Amino acid sequence: MTDERTFDHRPDPELGAALRNALEPRGGTEGAFVARVLARYDAALAERTVPTWQVLAAWAGPRIAAAVVAAALCGFLAGRALQSRDAPASFDTAFEPASGPGLAALVTASDPPDASVVFASLVEQR
Amino acid sequence: MAPERQPPEGAARIAGGPEADLVARTLSGDKAAFGLLVERYAPQARRVARAVLGDPDEADDAAQDGFLSALVKLAQYDARRPFGPWLMRIVANAATDRRRRRQVRRAEPLDPGLVGGGPRPDAEAVRSELAELLRAALGELPPRRRTAVVLFDVEGYSHAEIAEILGIPEGTVRSEVFHARRRLRALLADWKGA
Repeated sequence: MTDERTFDHRPDPELGAALRNALEPRGGTEGAFVARVLARYDAALAERTVPTWQVLAAWAGPRIAAAVVAAALCGFLAGRALQSRDAPASFDTAFEPASGPGLAALVTASDPPDASVVFASLVEQR
Repeated sequence: MAPERQPPEGAARIAGGPEADLVARTLSGDKAAFGLLVERYAPQARRVARAVLGDPDEADDAAQDGFLSALVKLAQYDARRPFGPWLMRIVANAATDRRRRRQVRRAEPLDPGLVGGGPRPDAEAVRSELAELLRAALGELPPRRRTAVVLFDVEGYSHAEIAEILGIPEGTVRSEVFHARRRLRALLADWKGA
């Protein structure tokens, strides 16, 4: 057992045997240890099922941040789109057709509407 | 001392060896198969945990944690690779976690009375005395160093496997084993010369 063997790529049997003896578990058989581990078998497998809230907590952080950013972006774009339109002066103006009977006539008529009227009212709204 | 069950060296550590069948059976819910895996690797796992922790009771707790953690993670095990290093990595991590939680306990100083030899009433007492010395010497080594030398010289793992188990470069493993051996061999030589 000299230092020449220090760089050996093989285990040192003498040192290994001495260390093995030093690290042997004191008392108790291997069977007792195995039984002890197996006693926790079912509990370990039951704990494997992670509670839902833990799963949510794991991925919620980044996804919530992404959702906030996406919502902010959508809000910004929607706001810009609405601002670019000419807002109607009033409710009546908004529903007033450009010409012809249009939507008002369709809504107030006592008789069922003719299909061409419905189509015309839709076209006039454009 | 109980008859020594050989650690799973050689054929047992070959990928796809006997462990493959036990792992498959365990994954299908066979508790007895898991029991056989535990029985096969318990001596090794307990020694490795003790190398990390020092205290035998705490080491058994860590070894148990390691086995149960391996059970839960068993689906992640790649059956084409050796089972031993995969399991020992989990056990070593469990032991290291325990050591971190409790804070590193200071190594007990060597008893000068033991170093000098003294009376040797019988072979068992001699073995016990040497074991005590070695445990104290191991306790003085950094945890990673003593784990590396135990995995190499006691359990027979290769440098590459130990690198995988400890998550460090292979060159670092060689260095750790070198320094540990130098210290432990000097102690053994002194003890034999006394």
